[in-house]
Amino acid sequence: MTAPLLDARNLSRHYRMPRTSLLRAPPVLTAVDNVSFTIRAGETLGIVGESGSGKSTLARMVMAFEQPDAGAIVFEGQNLHNLSASALRKLRQRFQMVFQDPFGSLDPRRRVGWSIAEPLRAIGVDADTNRRTVEALEQVGLHPRDANKYPHEFSGGQRQRIAIARAIVTRPALLVADEAVSALDVSVQAQILNLLMDLQDDLGLGILFISHDLAVVASICDQLLVMQNGKPVEAGPAAEVLRNPAHLYTQTLLKAAGVTA
Amino acid sequence: MFQLTGFTASFGSATALRRADLTIRQGDRLGIVGESGSGKTMLALCLMGMAPDAAQLDGRLEIDGHDMTHATETAWQHMRARRVAMIFQEPMAALNPLRRVGDTVMEPMIVHERLGRDQARQRALSLFEEVGIPDPVARLRQFPHELSGGQRQRVLIALALACNPDLLIADEPTTALDANVALRITDLLVRLATERGMALVFITHDLAAVARATQDIVVMYGGDMVERGTTAEVLADPAHPYTKGLLGARPDPTAQARDHNGKRRRLPTIPGTVPPLFSLPQGCRFAGRCPVEIPRCATNRPAPQDLGANRIAACHLLRGQRP
Repeated sequence: MTAPLLDARNLSRHYRMPRTSLLRAPPVLTAVDNVSFTIRAGETLGIVGESGSGKSTLARMVMAFEQPDAGAIVFEGQNLHNLSASALRKLRQRFQMVFQDPFGSLDPRRRVGWSIAEPLRAIGVDADTNRRTVEALEQVGLHPRDANKYPHEFSGGQRQRIAIARAIVTRPALLVADEAVSALDVSVQAQILNLLMDLQDDLGLGILFISHDLAVVASICDQLLVMQNGKPVEAGPAAEVLRNPAHLYTQTLLKAAGVTA
Repeated sequence: MFQLTGFTASFGSATALRRADLTIRQGDRLGIVGESGSGKTMLALCLMGMAPDAAQLDGRLEIDGHDMTHATETAWQHMRARRVAMIFQEPMAALNPLRRVGDTVMEPMIVHERLGRDQARQRALSLFEEVGIPDPVARLRQFPHELSGGQRQRVLIALALACNPDLLIADEPTTALDANVALRITDLLVRLATERGMALVFITHDLAAVARATQDIVVMYGGDMVERGTTAEVLADPAHPYTKGLLGARPDPTAQARDHNGKRRRLPTIPGTVPPLFSLPQGCRFAGRCPVEIPRCATNRPAPQDLGANRIAACHLLRGQRP
């Protein structure tokens, strides 16, 4: 086996809460407690859990938006949290994120072509931004003409395609999708899931796919990590975890996702 | 109890609800399923007499034989809370953050039934117990921000039940909640409806929740009721192409993500997106996205057809029919 694309080891993250009393130390919330996982190229790791289970904190640490209090994230052989600011900035083109809300994540006053090319400008690619923007639009099933339109001219599903185009325009190796299909209607959700699979096959992307919906995760993930209160409660190949959930919490999630009660 | 006949709600050229026929009887548990823009929330608002002023209403809406289609606000105020009550989607936004939840729940009793505060408090207390709020005496005095999402939803249910309505409309009651809280709220609604003999209209896009909570189901698309029947039958054997597409597009948690060659399975999809209300096709609303479409689908609205056993679907190409 080749070395994993991303190796997260023993990650923990604590937040200090507001003081409740002058005499006592402020309470500490453990958002992520000793979580480890790996993602290989071409593979999808699904992280499932409810709100407050720590899955978005994990995503932010993988994206190097925040530092873990303990543990390390090694991406393509480099420890993300030991890099200099400029080295990190350079490496960022290799891992990109798709956010939940396709209405909030695009600047309404900018043509979508501008938004898609923004990461390229941020990493200092000036030469073929246009060509690469068009290429990204075509990869997500949109028309090159769409670059000249504004976000309000698109439906929710199309906007999520635009957000994905913006994420892949830097040719990343890893895509972090935090509830990327949760805001979409069921019929559109399936289209976006298929698009992610197509892109993964074509580009060999590793995907970190975060969702509260076990059925959605089951349809796209190879590996599964179930989180509860910041702790990993179950992990393994998705098919096995779903066929034979060991943890009561996984069983509840499975029950909530099933059409047949 | 509640009957809609050829009921239409439109805004100029945009039709939010087109010739809807629906009967709700005592004790019915009816699921209304559809994606955004399907008209399900408009239907709920019309049943509450809360359609926006700009909406033009046609057809007939009857409650116990009384025509309420163009009823005045005063007439509706007599209906609301006692005949029909609603739980809104967002448990964070539906409660007044400046009032103790007990006062909020007591308000309809005091307004509609002219109960005294002590009587109202007694009833609020027993409602809190009924909807499973622990330590109800203390909770009555708390503010919404002191409660979790699931507890707030229980408070909203208690509020809706304050004047013992005959019909409870729950509009996406579980969408904002975590999976296991959603399960408990769904089961609570079913228990309350059964114990009280109350009718329940459960509006959702979550097919799993509808399968759990309801006996009958209406599938809506683009303002049309495209299919109707018992929940078990419709989910097991959908007749309308849209229902089929919707069920197919729903990921199956037990399916394997890859086939035996290690190739990823793609999900069946419905092509395109739900069109905006003002640019819906004139004929079948699903025209343009439908996999089995024929030319007249775009121009002629398919009439709802009786398939027997209370099963109705509106499609030109139902079983055994040739174009």
